[in-house]
Amino acid sequence: MPRGEFLGSLEQIVMLAVVRLGSDAYGMTVRREIEERTGREISIGAVYATLERLEAKGYVSSFTGEPTAERGGRAKRHFEVEAAGLQALSASQEALRSMSVGLSRRWKRA
Amino acid sequence: MSPSTVVRVQWILTWLLPSAHAEALLGDLLEERRLRLQLHVSSPASVARWHWMQLALSLPVLLWASFYRRSSFLTLGTAVVSYLAAGGVVFVLRAALLPMTTSTFARTVIDVLLCGVLAMTAAGYVAASIRPGAAPLLAVLVLVAMSMMMAFDLAGVPLWYEGSFLVIGSLAPIAGAALSRRWRKA
Repeated sequence: MPRGEFLGSLEQIVMLAVVRLGSDAYGMTVRREIEERTGREISIGAVYATLERLEAKGYVSSFTGEPTAERGGRAKRHFEVEAAGLQALSASQEALRSMSVGLSRRWKRA
Repeated sequence: MSPSTVVRVQWILTWLLPSAHAEALLGDLLEERRLRLQLHVSSPASVARWHWMQLALSLPVLLWASFYRRSSFLTLGTAVVSYLAAGGVVFVLRAALLPMTTSTFARTVIDVLLCGVLAMTAAGYVAASIRPGAAPLLAVLVLVAMSMMMAFDLAGVPLWYEGSFLVIGSLAPIAGAALSRRWRKA
């Protein structure tokens, strides 16, 4: 990961969803996972835009699955996290953790 | 969703996303729609509404992502220059064509249909040939400019003229871009 470049919050959430879903990670399952776990409503377009950005950075890769009838003959686009992506995710999470150390009392006060 | 609507939505999406991703996105929406209908979690009408809301919410995000991906400043610059050039073409066409008639209606039709639409279609064609993302941006520029003209009555022309140009003028760069794509494919 280039020095100083951390993942944005949506990028982290999307990558965590891809990691959680493993081989079943494609647009709609990622969207559903985020909605179920965070309660945050997200459009399928936002998921694809984020995944595409992450793919351009080399943090995730994608491949086309088989077309199925219930999808109107359209193929799924499966996503998986690359080693560089895991490293970036870990560094971003670590940075957040470091910045939050000792501040938990302030959250409780607010 | 009717087959023609699917084709139209797919056309817009392939503009904004790599084609494999656009295919997958439409497939995902269809799959989720069928699942929701099978599970009876909501009525068919609200499932259809959900589907369209997903598309409506996705398009601005994808438009922005596409704009960003295609080197935003160059794209924006191309759109602005095309818009200004189209303004110049409109000025020349008006000067050449308007003296041919004295009828207000004919003059307005020539102004809107011939000068405005022709110039914006040509501008969309050129903009898309230079930077594919510039044509939709040019359409947005036309939409914003016409909305401002209508809101503040800047042009001093009939409202129907502004209204029709708001719609046709915004679609013209997209039509120009489609022509450019077809030309490149051929």
